[in-house]
Amino acid sequence: MNIETCEALRIDERGEISWTQLIELSGLDETELKELVDDGALAPLRAEALPWHFHARSVVVARTAGRLRREFDLDAHGLAVVMRFLSRIEELEAELQALRAGVARRR
Amino acid sequence: MKYKDYYAILGVDRAAGADDIKKAYRKLARKYHPDVSKEPDAEEKFKEMAEAYETLKDPEKRAAYDQLGRHAAGQDFEPPPDWGQQFAGARTAFDDIDLADLFAGLAGRQRAGRRGPGAFSSGRDYEAAVRLSFEQAFHGTEIELDLSVLESDAQGVVRRVPRRIHARIPKGVSDGQQLRIPGKGGKGVEGGRDGDLYLDIVVESHPWYRVDGQDIYLDLPLAPWEAVLGTTVRLPTPAGTVSLKVPPGTRAGQQLRLAGRGLARAGAPAGNLHAIVQIVVPSVVDGQERALLQQLAEASTFNPRAHFEQESVHEH
Repeated sequence: MNIETCEALRIDERGEISWTQLIELSGLDETELKELVDDGALAPLRAEALPWHFHARSVVVARTAGRLRREFDLDAHGLAVVMRFLSRIEELEAELQALRAGVARRR
Repeated sequence: MKYKDYYAILGVDRAAGADDIKKAYRKLARKYHPDVSKEPDAEEKFKEMAEAYETLKDPEKRAAYDQLGRHAAGQDFEPPPDWGQQFAGARTAFDDIDLADLFAGLAGRQRAGRRGPGAFSSGRDYEAAVRLSFEQAFHGTEIELDLSVLESDAQGVVRRVPRRIHARIPKGVSDGQQLRIPGKGGKGVEGGRDGDLYLDIVVESHPWYRVDGQDIYLDLPLAPWEAVLGTTVRLPTPAGTVSLKVPPGTRAGQQLRLAGRGLARAGAPAGNLHAIVQIVVPSVVDGQERALLQQLAEASTFNPRAHFEQESVHEH
């Protein structure tokens, strides 16, 4: 069997990606991604500058949206609502983790 | 190839309309989707349902599936002789793949076909979960992944083949993060882009360290006299043991910060390590310790509850 060595790359850190790359990496089509932008789930770095560019972490958001859309068979509006709740849950989880990390455990 | 009864999996009649199929799937997805379900074997069940729906919701794929005939679930079967020509448009080694692979391949060819001759189709993205210890995540590591992927051989026959990938994981990854290995997913069709392999990182929790962003926290237990008098302790950090000076009069909950001792990532400044002071008392003291503490109690003028007395002055 062939063993290949490869580098695993971070996708959600610094850096920007183009609209074309986002379409390619997310598995969603242009119309679906446009809906996510209209709903605010994805925000271009400079909305007035075309073609759009995004923060690299947008790939994770777009891929999650693609997965949920497929798996729950959601329509565009349902997806936008789910994405809003999801981002709220992520914020709260991050806050909870920060609180837990910064407080001494009971002994 | 083993037969799967997609209609039975979704609990619908073979003559069911597209709307009924959609309704049945949505109901089941709400019940069994692993993100929301508490059913014991939800993940396995959901995968089956998603596979069934993926095929039955698409009229072309549903027609191709219906042409396979009716068999008992789990029964070995061969598609009719001209099935591959009619629907898949390519030779397929039916023994090596399962129904889901067959219809996934069909989708790629449909997309390519619709765009006209010579049109390409991107390869499928694969996803794999990777479990790392805290130390592996901190320092970076190399892992081996065994995958089973669909590939066409030189004759264009589609097979499921094992693929081993040796991957370098960069230092400083955290729990829940995703990494991408470009081009290591499914092969693109007719010059289309190869898919990517995504790694879902799970970092095991550590008995001492807790992570927030790039900062690491750990509890630093001190004896009461160490906190009062100050001391120097040996502190284990993920990058090695260091000497930490604890100043006199250190309070419980106070954080002693070691700059740059947190998670490091290529191209970014490292986070910090915070030692959170805990004052702990011995559960058993021997005679001499007790005598000394007794002496301290008598000699000390420190009143830790002075503020209670001030409060009561306010009230009267």
